[in-house]
Amino acid sequence: MTKHWKQFEEAFWPIRCVWLRYLHVYLKNWVYALVTTFVEPTLYLVSFGYGLGSMIGNVESNGISVTYRQFVFAGFVAQSCLFQGFFEAAYGSFVRMYYQKIFKAMASTPITLSEVLWGELLWDATKGTLSACAILLLGSLSGDLNPWGSLMAVPFCFLGALLFSSLGLWMAALSQTIEQISYPQYLLVFPMFLFCGVYFPLETLPETLQTIASFLPLTALLSLIRCLTLDFPFQIQALAVFLFWLVLMVFISRDTMSRRLVK
Amino acid sequence: MATSLEVQNLTKSYERKGQSPFVAVQGLSFEVQPGEIFGLLGPNGAGKSTTINCLTGFYPPTAGNVLIEGFDIHREPKKAKQHLGVCSQEDTLDTDFDVLDQMVRYGTFYRLNRFEIVKRARTLLETLGLMGKSNELIENLSGGMRRKLQVARALIANPKVLVLDEPTTGLDPDARRVLWQLLTENRKLGMATLLSTHYMEEAERLCDRILILFEGKMLDLDTPQALIAKHIGTEIIEEEIRPGVFWKRNPNLEDVFLKLTGKSLSGGGTE
Repeated sequence: MTKHWKQFEEAFWPIRCVWLRYLHVYLKNWVYALVTTFVEPTLYLVSFGYGLGSMIGNVESNGISVTYRQFVFAGFVAQSCLFQGFFEAAYGSFVRMYYQKIFKAMASTPITLSEVLWGELLWDATKGTLSACAILLLGSLSGDLNPWGSLMAVPFCFLGALLFSSLGLWMAALSQTIEQISYPQYLLVFPMFLFCGVYFPLETLPETLQTIASFLPLTALLSLIRCLTLDFPFQIQALAVFLFWLVLMVFISRDTMSRRLVK
Repeated sequence: MATSLEVQNLTKSYERKGQSPFVAVQGLSFEVQPGEIFGLLGPNGAGKSTTINCLTGFYPPTAGNVLIEGFDIHREPKKAKQHLGVCSQEDTLDTDFDVLDQMVRYGTFYRLNRFEIVKRARTLLETLGLMGKSNELIENLSGGMRRKLQVARALIANPKVLVLDEPTTGLDPDARRVLWQLLTENRKLGMATLLSTHYMEEAERLCDRILILFEGKMLDLDTPQALIAKHIGTEIIEEEIRPGVFWKRNPNLEDVFLKLTGKSLSGGGTE
């Protein structure tokens, strides 16, 4: 056990080192960190959950009736994984790779580029998870989300944020200029956010759009989070779609970024 | 004494769409011994940066090996890089940290004891005249200070092999001399240094041996004096520096370079 732990510690240590570098930067400016991580989702919550929620009343999805506030609370958990994960990885890693060139600087020490990219992705996923946890906590305290289910949703939030961070890293690796990241932002991230069921049940969409949306990773993550926090029925297809995108995105993003940096 | 840096038949080519691969470096072999400062001279586009990227383990070579303290940098990168300090040509300073924090953070990547790192960082900053700036953000430093900090960061783990890619570019003469002094002191301590530079005076003054690289190939490798004697001779050169003004001077590496490549060191394309 000790030997295996030592081997694991040895292998994980460089990634932890990179992750700690990001945490150090994050904590150095903790007021900014708190505002960017927690304020945006909280504003959405108050505005849509309490404002719009009081007008709409109940919504029905997957045969379950919940208040709109409950519905949208769970939606915002997945949305924060998407936004925090994607934007931190896409814009942040582009700056670190292209302008600061710190991927190269870190990779010239005993830490390898592969470990630098793992550290980057795990940090971006951590930031998305922190934001999602803030909403899970608020939802649990307000009685809108199942507290135990919320706790069980945390690992899925982390994996979801990792998925969207990988998408962001991939886009950063493909973009020649920082402006080009706007394309996936407007053509992929915003449509996902608007049509995958954050604000309204998928059943209200035309069938073709429902089918397209059901294959998108945000829909799958939403299904898993609502299953845990609102007792929606478990959908094995959602888990399969989620895991498929997760494995694919992590592999593609790391491979593309490595190819961009190493010639 | 074991060789600090050994390059065996290094070749690097880049794939190009619809064309045959571009060979940036071809069959390069040399060794750098402990306490030696080894110069890499070549115009822009000669293959210096590609060579350095392969030596530091960032680019995989197409063929050949690079050994640092006996460890192959591509097969055992962690063991090899534990002995390596790198100062890239481009500015790779981490602008999210202040000067001292930056040094300490990079020291932790080598798994060094924090107390030792802080002590060494302070000594290096003091030597390079940056101690007064230790709490400054990188963006508040001048170009020359940034360059010196990058060299200091490369030295944080007290490496046995130091790779410096044009470290004195942008430095004023005083700062350049401080850096030369530091390299000379490290040489006495047994550090092997590979120095890529455009400056003749720097190469002649510091380097024990110089490799002249042109279009990816080694043209010659010898001591600066031997290169000059072999290719130019010892006769005084007389040249017209302004119309009607003649100047007599000793032959130098620039003459060697011009004779071998037909180009001056500052000329050439972009790599």
